[in-house]
Parts: sequence; structure tokens; C-alpha cells
Amino acid sequence: MTGFVVRRFGQAVVVMIIVSIVIFGILHALPGGLVRAQLGPRATAFSVHELTIQEGLNKPIVVQYGIWAWHALQGRLGFSYKLNESVGALLSQYLPRDLLLVGISLLLAIAIAVPLGLWQGYRRNRPDDHALSALMLVFYSMPSFLLGVILIVVLNIWVDVLPSTATNFGTGLGTDISVLALPVFALCLGNVSYFSRYMRSSTVDNLLSDHVRTALAKGASPRRLLLRHVLRNSLTSTVTLIGLTLPYVLSGSLIIEALFNYPGMGLLFWNAAQDRDFPVLLGVVLVVTVATVVGNLLADLGYAALDPRIRYK
Amino acid sequence: MKQRILDVEHLRTEFHLRSVNVAAVDDVSLTIDQGECVGLVGESGCGKSTTGLSIMRLLPRSGHVTSGRVLLDGRDLVPLSEAEMRQVRGRAVSMIFQDPMTSLNPTMTIGAQVAEPLVIHFGSSKKAALDRTLETLHLVGIPNPRERVDDYPHQLSGGLRQRVMIATALAAEPKLLIADEPTTALDVTIQAQILDLLDRLREELSMAVLLITHDMGVIAGRTDRVMVMYAGKMVEAATTDELFAATRHPYAEALLQSIPQLTQDASARLPSIPGHPPDLSRLPPGCRFAPRCRYASPACVEEPPLEEAAAGHLVACFHPVGVLPGSGAAAAWSAPGAPSGIPEPPLPPATTPLEPSGAPSRDGDPMPPDAATRRLALAAAPVLVEVDHLVKEYPVRGGGMRRRVGSVKAVSDVSFGIRRGETFGLVGESGCGKSTLGRMVAALERPTSGTVRLGGDELLRLRGADLRRRRRELQLMFQDPYASLDPRMRVGSILREPLVVQGVGDRRQQWETVASLLDEVGLSRRAVDLYPHEFSGGQRQRIGLARALTLNPRLVVADEPVSALDVSIQSQILNLMKALQRNHGLTYLVISHDLAVLRYLSDTIGVMYLGKMVELGAADDIYARPAHPYTHGLIQAIPVPDPSIEKAKRSAAVRGELPSAVNPPSGCRFRTRCPLAQEICAEEEPPLRGFGPGHVAACHFPLLSPSADQQAGGAPVVSVTSEPAPGAS
Repeated sequence: MTGFVVRRFGQAVVVMIIVSIVIFGILHALPGGLVRAQLGPRATAFSVHELTIQEGLNKPIVVQYGIWAWHALQGRLGFSYKLNESVGALLSQYLPRDLLLVGISLLLAIAIAVPLGLWQGYRRNRPDDHALSALMLVFYSMPSFLLGVILIVVLNIWVDVLPSTATNFGTGLGTDISVLALPVFALCLGNVSYFSRYMRSSTVDNLLSDHVRTALAKGASPRRLLLRHVLRNSLTSTVTLIGLTLPYVLSGSLIIEALFNYPGMGLLFWNAAQDRDFPVLLGVVLVVTVATVVGNLLADLGYAALDPRIRYK
Repeated sequence: MKQRILDVEHLRTEFHLRSVNVAAVDDVSLTIDQGECVGLVGESGCGKSTTGLSIMRLLPRSGHVTSGRVLLDGRDLVPLSEAEMRQVRGRAVSMIFQDPMTSLNPTMTIGAQVAEPLVIHFGSSKKAALDRTLETLHLVGIPNPRERVDDYPHQLSGGLRQRVMIATALAAEPKLLIADEPTTALDVTIQAQILDLLDRLREELSMAVLLITHDMGVIAGRTDRVMVMYAGKMVEAATTDELFAATRHPYAEALLQSIPQLTQDASARLPSIPGHPPDLSRLPPGCRFAPRCRYASPACVEEPPLEEAAAGHLVACFHPVGVLPGSGAAAAWSAPGAPSGIPEPPLPPATTPLEPSGAPSRDGDPMPPDAATRRLALAAAPVLVEVDHLVKEYPVRGGGMRRRVGSVKAVSDVSFGIRRGETFGLVGESGCGKSTLGRMVAALERPTSGTVRLGGDELLRLRGADLRRRRRELQLMFQDPYASLDPRMRVGSILREPLVVQGVGDRRQQWETVASLLDEVGLSRRAVDLYPHEFSGGQRQRIGLARALTLNPRLVVADEPVSALDVSIQSQILNLMKALQRNHGLTYLVISHDLAVLRYLSDTIGVMYLGKMVELGAADDIYARPAHPYTHGLIQAIPVPDPSIEKAKRSAAVRGELPSAVNPPSGCRFRTRCPLAQEICAEEEPPLRGFGPGHVAACHFPLLSPSADQQAGGAPVVSVTSEPAPGAS
């Protein structure tokens, strides 16, 4: 197991280095270079020169990468002249809110999808399974922003139970919960359909497998069958899927945040994109990439924890 | 009188398929007493497993017991509710299955799996369950149960896994054990050990055992009574001795005859049953075996009742065999293929739409030459394949950095030659390196060192297009007729593809080749437009053989060509392989775990053990006078369909299991399992020594005395190997 963790961790580090090189490359491919991107087209030659020296942009490219990477590791990701704040500070302010939104919606999706998929697999091709499958297909085929709009129309405009904007987030636990409810649902329902579909099919596969027949031959009840023999085996494949979904959940949150005015990274990214605030954009991209790599790492570790064949190799 | 444990009366199990109901088990009755082992034998699809699953009520969703009674200790299981049935399963009746790898939960420790029935049925405490688990694991012969109890199934070998499987079935001490092909996935040496274990446990626990198998040899050695099933019907039932001594049903007789025997005359055609078992949704009227039966008459359109032919001997046939002298299985043993005393059947032999009626007889053309002629011809033939000091090692990596920590010694210094037109058989347990060797000969894998030459050229020296062009000289035939054909390609395209790839001929010529190949392997030309799933296993293996022959190769490497097939189909394919060899001058390298198959098919046999070639010689010689204790053990381990031989066997001939190929034992690799091993065997690797013309073996204490001159001259089948192996200074 230790060997596996060390190896998997090493791979993640290598991926991160490659990704950082790509992002650094994009930074340098900006029109007019990094300095112009920050100062704008009407900056004087002097201020351009000054910032070039200040940012070390006259040094060899490898050294520049070294400096940039070293700064990035410390959370120094440049300065947003548009917002007059360092990117690091902006991210540290917005990122936790995202982790909250994405984290809750992901956990909720798993909490609903796993039992749902298990049940559907057990009841496969019976009326309740078909009904649930149809409902899940509706959620699955709906883009998250449309789902968000529908939720707003139903739960805010028709029946006014939940607020449609999240502008007053952070004013107390009660408001936070009510404010988060709609964005969390909008973000989570699509994933519930996705995960449960997958969970259902791996449950079906497992229920038809030889080892489940063995368990039946021992006299196992349906409950024991599902919880002791099928759940863990079905989770192994589903966990990989969840890890792979992480970047999509994050990018989905960008739209949902804009829709609900939730002051998270998505909103930050949205505004930065409109203002061509490149340092902020790349900062967000870097965070999303790290999250992707970490998500995959967690998925693999989860897989190894669930499946002893991976652990003892 | 012993207590009756199981009494199945007129059991009928139906499957609901799309629009039709199909009776997979039709009017089957059987009884098993305490401590008795009853065998249920038949080919795949005959309903033997379904009978077992019906008793346990573990049928797939579409299956139901529609009538009949299953009395367990006098209590009928059929009307029980699902909850009541759960109380029975694993407690009163247990079942073990064929494949111990997939039949155990990969994510649960073996201890938890063995303890599970105890927890379910007795609500045992952790401590009590663990104690009983350790006891059960010890009972089934797992060494050091306390250390093993927290292992996962994948950490155990196949043999140990099946022992664990048996332990899970026995933990709650059931009265009846249903063993469904318990040893089919195992090597013969392990099979003998597992069957010994089942015998011992049956006696110790005085269990009733229902042994479901396709293997007449296993039936002969292990059962008290046998029931033979065909297409869902019971066709014959008798005590084991009676069934083998006086077989009455033509199907049982044909089944026994089509098994290749160690004593078989290899130059004679193997008797085979034409066609294949009927589709259960389109059964023939009357006797279901009639379309394939050589004794069938117009009377057979009526269904024959299961009647007592002799005391305790039931048979469902209007024309039971063994009534006239000279027929019957016992007679057929001594003279395989001997004409029976019954005149030609008035009904034509059955054919399926895809097999022209002439197919089986065509396999036999031209008349096979006798053994001596063939041997002489082979001795004069040039050597086609030369394998010289071949070594293949796979790295084993470990630790965080995946450093190379060792290597799997898959093939270690193997040398031999194959003459043109010869069949070379390679035999050994799984993991002995025979398939790796086959892949290297087929130029699919690069050796770590050593060379393989085909017609004097080392193919793997070639690169790119040159190598690809020469590949036409080498073709493969695979084990699994289901997995080895692309399910989305029509048979015509499958057969034509090699010609297209190699750019042989134009479109019209290619299709002509395909058509003539189909004729040759006994399939209708209509097959070109069909997909592989529209064929039976035997027909698919014919397609596989035709595909291998499209490019007119010089060498065909066949890896377990018949081990996935039922015996009646197996003999058809073996006959076909022999006929094609004669017609095309083919050279075969046949890899198999089945010695009887190899003995029938091969001229020369190489026995491999853990990467080493331990014995090599003419097929007859190897069987008649094995020099290596391993070869002897392998021959002993094959179950022979003769109760008098089988029941006389004392215990498994080869003990234990194959050691790890990462750290093979020092000196002689077989010494850890050898009954004759002494100190020298651990210190020195035995050299290959001669035991007659072309017969070599590597053993310090051979079962024969070595011949004086090691260089055996004038051998009918000369092997390249003659120099001593390294390390034998």
C-alpha cells in the first residue's frame, strides 16, 4: 500500500510540473507579453521597462519559470491591477466558498446516487427502476444552468421558499444554508443522475457475478448481499468516475455561481474574463488544475482502499 | 440402511426466453443417501448445473421450478418461501462452483467469507466464528490457517482458493453438498488433490454429495451412482460400476468412446458424435438424442420412457446398446470405433443446417497412414522449427519507485526441434511456461535470450514489413472459440482478412479460398454471411482453424485448441486437425494441459515444469515409459473413465502446488513436490539424459535407467536437445 501511495503521489507531482509549464507558457503567449497584459496598451515605455525589471522578465526563460514556480508555490500568483489586489489574496478569499459549494454538492450527489444506484440495480428492469431511470435521464440531459433557472422559477418565483441570489452570503449560518440550497441542488442533480446510472450498472454486473451467487448459496439475505458483497465492489468503479468528474463539477460551478451571484471563484473568473484580467484567470486555471490532479489522486487512493487487489501487488 | 438425504421427484425447471418457455430440466428424479456421492454427467447445456441450481433455488431470474418435488430430509423445498429457503441454503445444503477465482468475493478476506454462513445461520460471535473458521480451514488442508485467515482470494493459488471455497460450503456442516464442476478450472494434479479432499470430507462428515461434471474420468473414480443427462432429460442412471461395465444408452456409450484415452491408437480416427446438442427451444420430437444417434429408428419419434433395463439400472432408449455382444462401451474400449453389431440405422445421421452431412466422414480422408509409416516419413523430414536455449524472464517490480526486484523465470533454457509435418505436444500445469514458449515460437514475443528458427531463419531478427510478410508462415489457433473471433465481423471477413492483410490474390481468388476452406473444415458456405455468435462452440473452433489455414502456413501453434469444448465436439475437432495436417502437410505445435489429447494428437511430447523442459520424447514412449517422476505423476493424475482403475488409485500422485517462478527451487525445480527427491536434487540441476531413441529427461533419480549413449542416433523423431543443460558440470 505504501509503495502504491508513494508511486501515485510521485505521478501527481510530475503531472503538476507539466501543467505548471503549460500555464507558464500561456502566460508568456499573452498578446504583448505579460507586462502589456497587466499595464494595458497605453502604458509608457518607461513603466513597461520598470515592470519588466521588477518582474524579472528580462532574465532567461528557465530562470523566469523558476521564479514563477517558486512564487506560485508560496501562493504568489501575480497582481490584479484591475482589482488592485494580489491574485493570491483574491483566491484565498474566494476559494473556500467554492470548496464549500462544490464539496457539499459532490457529497450530496454521492450520498444520494450510491444508495439509489444500488437500489435500482437490485430492482433492475422493474417499474420503479424504470421510473427512476427516466427521471434521472431528465436530470442528466439538462445543462446545470437550465436546471438552475428551473429551480429559481419553481422555488423562488412560484413558491417563494428560497432566495434566488446569493449576494448576502456570509451573513450568518441560517442565511448561508438557505442561500446555498439552490446552487447546491443545481450543481448536484446532474451528478446524481450520472453517478447513479454508473452505480446501477456496476451493481447489476456484481449481482450477476459468481461471488454473489456464492453468497446466495450461503443463505445471505438481500440486505447482506447488497451491503456486504455488492456495495464495495460496485464502489470501486464508481469512485474512479467521481474523481474524473471533479473538474466538470468545478467548471459547472463557474456558471452556477454567475447565475446565482454566488461570490465564489466562478464569479471571480467570470468578471476577470470580461475584464481581461489575465493574472486572475490563470490563477483560477491553476487552482482548477490542482483540484483535478488532487481529485484523481484521491480517487485512486479510494480505489486502492476499496480493492485489495490494487493494494497488494 | 443409510438415511435418505435428498429425493428429487420429477423435477421440471423452465426458463422464460423472450416468447417461449424452455424446459432446461425435464422430469428429472434422483436420490442421494447419507455419505453417498452421486454423479450428474453430461455436456454443457444438458441441464446438469440447472438441476443443481434448482435444488438450491439459485436459478437466474428467468428460471423457475414449474413442477416436481425436492425433498430434503423429507421436507419439500419447492413450496418454501424465499426467506425459508435462505435458512436452508448454506446450512442444510451448500454448493461449490467451478471457478474459484470469480466465485469468491475479491474484496473480502477469506476468513470473513468462511465465517459468513456461521454469522448468517447461527449468529455466531466474532470469537466463535473465528475459531470455527480456523478449524474449517484446517479441515480443508490450508496450511497455517491463522496466518492465512486475513488474506484476500487473489493472494492464494487456484488450488488453495478452491479449498477456501469448500471451506465456506462446509463451515455450517451441511447435510448435502452440491459440487458443480469443482475441479474443471484446475490442473489435473490439483484436481486429484481437491477430489481426494472431497472424498475425505464426505466420509468424515458423512455428507451426501451431488457431483456435477462433464468428466467421465472424475465420475468413474469418485461416485457411487451416476445419472447421465442429455438435453434436459435423464437418459441413463445406474451404479457407477454398472454404468461403465454395461452402458445401455447410445449417448452414454458415444460419450465414453469420444474421450481420447491414454491407451488410444493414435493413428485411428477418434469416434465422435456427429452434430451437436439440440436447441432446447426447438427440440426434435421423441427421443432428443435420435438425430445424432447411430442406432436411431422410426420408433424413436416417440419419447422413450425411463425404464429399468437391469436391477437398479434405468435407461430411456428403445434400442439400448450392450444387449448384443460386441457392442457397448466396454467393448469399445479395446477396439475404438469398432462396428457395433447393430445394422445401419434407417434414419440418416443428423446434420445441422451449417454442417453438410458429409462433414464427419470427410475429416477422415485420405485414409490415415499407420503409425510406423508416419514415423518413418517424419524421421526423413527436415527440421522446420529449431528452438535453441530459449529463455524468457519477465521483470517483477516493487516498491515506490517500481524498481526491478526480481524476475519471473517463465521459460528457462529450453531447446527442441520440430520436423516438418510433425505434431509437437507441449504439456504442463498452468504457469509452467508452455504458453509463453508457444508465443515465442509464434514470434509474438521476444525471448530474453536464445533463438527460435523457422526453416533456418530467425524471424525475430526481421523488422517491420519483412517480419509481417513472414508471419504468414506461422498461424495461431486459440483456446476460447468465443473470445478469439471478432463478434462484429462476419465469418467471411474474418477468414478473408489474413489474405487482405498479406495482399494475397485478388478479390475473387480470396473469396474462392474462403469458400474452399469452409468446405474443408466442414462448414456450409452460407457461413460467410453469418456472425460468430450464430455458431456453436465447436463450429467456432472450426472457423478458428480455417482462419489459421487461410495463408497456408507452415506451422500452426495451437494453444489449448479443444479444452473449451465438450468431449463429443472435442473429438470432431481433433479428427479435423489430424485430417488437415495430412492434406496440407502442416506442422503443429500443440499446447495443452490434457495429456490424453496430446497423446492422441502428437508425435513428440515435451513435458514442461516451471520453465524447464523436464522430459522429451516420442508420444508413445513418454506414456509407456516415463522417465521423469513428474511425467509419471501427470499421467497418474488423469482421471480414467474406468472405475476399476480410478478407484484403485491411492492418492494424488503429485503433491502440493507449483512453486513461484520468481524464486524457483534450487537444483531440480521439481524436487519440492517429488516423492524421490534427495539432497543432490537441491544442490545440482539434473542434466538431460537419454533414455532411448529421441527420449531425454532431466532427473537425478529417473524411473528408467538411462541408455549408455546419450546421443541417440537413428531416432524416429530426433530432438535437437542432446547436449547437457548448463549447471551440470
